This record gives sequence, structure tokens and C-alpha cells, in this order.
Amino acid sequence: MTCWQCGLPADALFCGGCKALQPPPSGYFEFYGFPRKLAIDSAELQRRYYALSRQLHPDRFTRRSAREQALALEASSILNDGLRVLRDPVERAEYVLTAEGFAMPGQRTKDVPPELLEEVFELNLALEEMRSGDASARPALETARSHFQSMLNGADSELAGLFARWDESGDRAELARIRGVLNRRKYITNLVRDVNQALQ
Amino acid sequence: MAYSDKVLDHYNNPRNVGSLDKGSRHVGTGIVGAPECGDVMKLQVRVNESTGIIEEAKFKTFGCGSAIASSSLATEWLKGRTVDEALRIKNTDIVTELSLPPVKIHCSVLAEDAIKAAINDYKAKQAGGAAVTPAVAETVAG
Repeated sequence: MTCWQCGLPADALFCGGCKALQPPPSGYFEFYGFPRKLAIDSAELQRRYYALSRQLHPDRFTRRSAREQALALEASSILNDGLRVLRDPVERAEYVLTAEGFAMPGQRTKDVPPELLEEVFELNLALEEMRSGDASARPALETARSHFQSMLNGADSELAGLFARWDESGDRAELARIRGVLNRRKYITNLVRDVNQALQ
Repeated sequence: MAYSDKVLDHYNNPRNVGSLDKGSRHVGTGIVGAPECGDVMKLQVRVNESTGIIEEAKFKTFGCGSAIASSSLATEWLKGRTVDEALRIKNTDIVTELSLPPVKIHCSVLAEDAIKAAINDYKAKQAGGAAVTPAVAETVAG
């Protein structure tokens, strides 16, 4: 890559020669300079975000060309979207999975194991029964909440383990397992949401 | 988002809510779900063995109004049909009947999948291989 402004070789966000902002990479990992891994150093991510925010602040571009101002706007948008995605383990995993062809199944159900659907169905049914009861159902709801919460924690630690395995091996079978846990987690977060609503 | 009158009608007065004995060999059960929205839908049919006609259909759906309306409508349509006629119900029929907007089409897909899963479960039971868990529809691109 050469700098669009001065023609010197440019391999960073800013040209080493004329200091012009270069077209930013559109991938979040590449933009932030992280390897494409599911585990991330979140303190380092935050640090890079602040450093890049300063470098890309609009005030620094007021006297630059229209082209560079447009690039700064584009880079800022990737900076913010990237932080939102990369700092959240689930969003980060969904981002990688989508890029690797394991996007969340939106309309079709065949990727969801029937046992999981049965379990979720039964949990929903129990929750509905408790909700339609009077105040005496409250202890049962609180028990259900801690049950769902521990299911959620279980899914998260399972994910952390799978993330580490994919980072190490790059084995696509791990991505398929992660997809399964993320699907399950989505249902659990809905249950947590519903039980919290019921307890309000 | 505004629901159509038909969706609201099914949502406020859902038809055939409930369950059938899933252990019975005359009953087919389908449970389907879409992770993206977190909906889960159970649909059951009871079939007259000698005529092949669906005599009863029940559903229970945890999800949005469109998902509830789609499955409620599906149970209405199922009653009185043969199992093979039931398999010809398309999600697009549901979309048309309920005037579902594009963002809610997946709800009708879920209902079609639930019908297929229930019928396939019934057929598997009749074939002797009594399914322990309800089958999830092996769907054909729709």
C-alpha cells in the first residue's frame, strides 16, 4: 500500500511521511491491531480506543483536505462500532462466527437441537404458571431467576473454554460448538429477561 | 409496529391453545424455535388413524404476537385436513392471511416448520419407530 497523498509506502493508519490519514481497514480486529482471536485483552482494547479516539478527533482535521476529513469520519465510525463489538464476548463471537459462515440461524430451526427447545419450552411454561399466580409465587420466581442466572453463567464459562480452544487450534468444529452454545444462551437471556420483568 | 386486525384477533383470542398427550401414538408433536428472536413454538395434532384426518390441533407459543397468531391460524387450518394436505400448508399462505410485514415473515416460517415437525413425528410413530423426542422439521428451502 502506498499513501494516497504523497505516494510513499504506508502500512499504518497514518502515513509515516506526510502524516495523512489512510483509508482505514474495515475489519474490527485489523482496525484495532488485534489478532483475529475470540479472547481479547479488554484493558488493552480500551487503551487503544482512547489513543485512536484522540488521533481521529474531528478537531485535528479541520484544516485538512475534504478527502482526509471524510476518511476521519469513516475511521471514527469503525472505531466506535468496533469497540461495541469487540468489548462484548458474545458480540465479538457473533462477529467472528458470521465472518466464518456460522451466522445465527434467523428463520430456520434445524440447527437447534430438539432437546434444547423442549427444555426452553418447559422453562417458559413453568415461568408462565408462576407469573399468573399471586404474590405467593414470588419465592418460586426468585428460585427460577437464580436458576436461569446460573444457566447463563454456565453458558458463559462454557463459551470461554470454547473460545480458548478455537484460538489455539483454529478448528472449525469449535465454531460449530460455539454456535450451539450461543443459540442456547439467547434463549436463556430471554428467560432471565422475562423472570426479571415478572419480579418487578 | 402496527399489527393487522387478523393478527390482533388471533393474539387476543388465540384458538386451540393447549396440549395433547404427547405419548399417544395418534398424536404428533413438533417443537420449533428461532434463536434470533428467542421464540419457541409447540404444535400438536391428533390424527384419526383410519381416515388420516387431523381431528384436533393444539399449540402453545412463547413469542411475539405474530408468532402466536401464525401458530393459532395454523391449528385452525389443520383441523379437518389429512396429514398430507397439512404438509402442503405454506408459510406464504399464513403471510397472506395475516398480512404479515416482511420483518415478521420468519414467524410464519416457524409455524410451517412446526406443522412439518408435528406431522413427521406422527408419521414416525405410525411407522413404528416411536420417536421419543419430537422431531424438528427437516425443512425444504421455502
